[in-house]
Amino acid sequence: MTQDNMTTSDSDADTENEPLVSPAPGSEAIDTDSKRRRTIHDETVVEARNLDVYYGDDQALRDIDIEIPKKQVTAMIGPSGCGKSTFLRCINRMNDLIDSCRVDGELYFEGKNVYDEDVDSVALRRRIGMVFQSPNPFPKSIYDNVAYGLRVQGKTQNMDEKVENALKGAALWDEVKDRLDESGLELSGGQQQRLCIARAIAVDPDVILMDEPASALDPVATSQIEDLIADLAEEYTVVIVTHNMQQAARISDKTAVFLTGGELVEFDETQKIFENPESQRVEDYITGKFG
Amino acid sequence: MATESGTRDQSWFGDTGQISRLPGRVFAATCLGATLFAILTVFGLLVYVANDAFRPATADPRWHLVFFLTLVLPSLALFGYYVARGDGESWVAATALGIPFFGLLLGSGVLLLFIDVLSVVAWLAFVLAVLAAAVVIKSHRRIRPAPGFLEHLLVIVGSLGAVAPAVYFGVVNLPVVPTPWLIYLLTFGAAGAALAGLVVARRRSSDRAGLTAAALVFAAAAGGGLAVSAVGIEPEIWVVLFTFAGVPTALYVESVLRERERPVGLLFPLVVVVGILLGAFLVDTLGFAGPDSWLDYGFLTSADSRFPEEAGIYPALIGSILMMVVVAAASFPIGVGAALYLEEYAPNDGALGAIVKLVQINIGNLAGVPSIVYGLLGLALFVHWGGLRPGIVIVGGLTIGLLILPIIIIAAQEAIRAVPDSMREASYGMGATQWQTIRRVVLPEALPGILTGSILGFGRAIGETAPLLMIGAAATVYTPPNGFFDLFSAMPRQIYAWVGKPAHEFQYGVMAAGVVTLLVVLLSMNAAAILIRNKYQRRT
Repeated sequence: MTQDNMTTSDSDADTENEPLVSPAPGSEAIDTDSKRRRTIHDETVVEARNLDVYYGDDQALRDIDIEIPKKQVTAMIGPSGCGKSTFLRCINRMNDLIDSCRVDGELYFEGKNVYDEDVDSVALRRRIGMVFQSPNPFPKSIYDNVAYGLRVQGKTQNMDEKVENALKGAALWDEVKDRLDESGLELSGGQQQRLCIARAIAVDPDVILMDEPASALDPVATSQIEDLIADLAEEYTVVIVTHNMQQAARISDKTAVFLTGGELVEFDETQKIFENPESQRVEDYITGKFG
Repeated sequence: MATESGTRDQSWFGDTGQISRLPGRVFAATCLGATLFAILTVFGLLVYVANDAFRPATADPRWHLVFFLTLVLPSLALFGYYVARGDGESWVAATALGIPFFGLLLGSGVLLLFIDVLSVVAWLAFVLAVLAAAVVIKSHRRIRPAPGFLEHLLVIVGSLGAVAPAVYFGVVNLPVVPTPWLIYLLTFGAAGAALAGLVVARRRSSDRAGLTAAALVFAAAAGGGLAVSAVGIEPEIWVVLFTFAGVPTALYVESVLRERERPVGLLFPLVVVVGILLGAFLVDTLGFAGPDSWLDYGFLTSADSRFPEEAGIYPALIGSILMMVVVAAASFPIGVGAALYLEEYAPNDGALGAIVKLVQINIGNLAGVPSIVYGLLGLALFVHWGGLRPGIVIVGGLTIGLLILPIIIIAAQEAIRAVPDSMREASYGMGATQWQTIRRVVLPEALPGILTGSILGFGRAIGETAPLLMIGAAATVYTPPNGFFDLFSAMPRQIYAWVGKPAHEFQYGVMAAGVVTLLVVLLSMNAAAILIRNKYQRRT
């Protein structure tokens, strides 16, 4: 099932996508290993096992176990400093950019531990797109912003079509189709964030990570982004960090609650988390008694 | 209690002396005094030197009156009007006057280089060689859109190392070459036309408009050349000045007019130019004598002489320009490269990080090392150890290049650091490698800042004298250097030589004219840096 989905969604990108695992002696063994993983955790795309993350001497995440399902929206909620963003940045190894950050334990993407020696973080990020907290379009034209990922990944064929599709996918095409050569910085905040989403989906990733994508936006722009996230889940696995519990309740299929100290306290269907959580601490947090 | 609070209430708003502002006022006045003292001292010196250089008192008072009426009064009135409107017209006016001014300055510099240093045929061969290499690289990219790194490198090295030299020597050894002015037209004119076409095509999002603009520019370059040669001016001069001054001015005027962005500002340069022409015409026909300036056309175009009236700065001016070419070519790439390494690649912690920190501190220290010490370093490094002849252009340029290298590194580092990390994260998040991130995001964002800082560094370089004394640059040369391995003198060195001469006219008049020339070049460079900075600051 997983295998099938992969080949259909990636049919034209097969030759262009660089392999996630660089071919190395012993690649045979890795292949069988990943197959075993996939069969065991059918439908799971990202999976953490005993994941600990440290910034210098401070532990940011403690012993995280989680299985993130394919083509669903998984929300991460919790108070500030609970490590939810840190976890998100572990998935595509953005934490590599921070010198003091150290990761223990395993984090699997499609059955392959992304912290293995033979995983190229750049190849990983080509499969896992990211949208950041505040909109950060490049100071380039709208077209060049969307085309950026295609260019750096060498997918330069049919670029106009891919850019158009990505902008349509991010519900931005109608607003910008007549001014693709204007600077991305001239758009409004909400449009900029949708541009960033278009930029992320242009390269057709498997997973899209969103780090509080609506926290810098006004209510109208926020609801546009939320509608968009629901549409995106048709095709992509979406993992979204938010500090807005109503937002998590509205848009996500599954919710993970992190609490202070970097613990993952509960992870379940969103409805269950908000209506009948197992843990008293989660209930206190959700009802506003704590946090 | 009640009465106490009552009295307090009544006087809370008044100046009863409880809150003393005296220390603050004294401090503010002292600061103002310091500022005024500094500015007025420097300004006074400049006026003194300019007075010596231009000697306005030697002119017929009616000459002053004519120019006051035709030039100063209308310009001041118009500028006052802009300021009163306060809608940014003065910015448009300054830009519209500045672009042709710098264009003319740059174009004259290029013309000087061609007259005295470069051969026209070699220039044509160079341009064709670079073009051929670019065509080879481009067509390879088109045939094989995604070459491996090694293949790509091989093609680049091959085309630069084999194709370009082959074309170069082929053209240089051609038995028949086009006339110089045709070469200028084919290189500068065509480049200006291509640039104008690209800009217009992008602005109007129409390829046809771009082609029309390119054709118009090329036709103007060619037609204007023919026209000026008919009245006895060399057509090369027209082609070069038109490309450097005319084309950018036209593009700017077009953008202001089309976007209707305060087009009133465009009147200012018109008023200035018409005022100068009208004034010149009037004093000429009415026979009012102008000032007997030390700084005149003859001073700029002739060599030094024993007679102050005939002394000029031309060889030193050429020497300074050539030296600056070496300085820029040597220090800019190395400085920017070092800054990129320190900011983007160098490790932050561990033993290596400590070394990087040490290097960083020492770059700051090197920026403060006295220039005479750099002169000594250049003498030891390039003359005694490198075996180059003392006092030649390349030794001077490399020595002063070393001197401003720390300044450029620090300026470039600041510009690179100012690129927000969110840009880098966005790029890495798209699966870009570090090299792609630097090339496509960091460098384009940091470039205006790097350029601004570097130009200020070059401004420091052009005024340096002490290192030139150390490396043995001549006090005076009578013919300008013909290449980078010729003996040279530079403007500050020549000025120093004039001050040492016993004749009063040299010590005051000729020296002052040299100082003003040097300052005009320096201030132009600084103004260019400010223009670049403002342009990009306004955009973002």
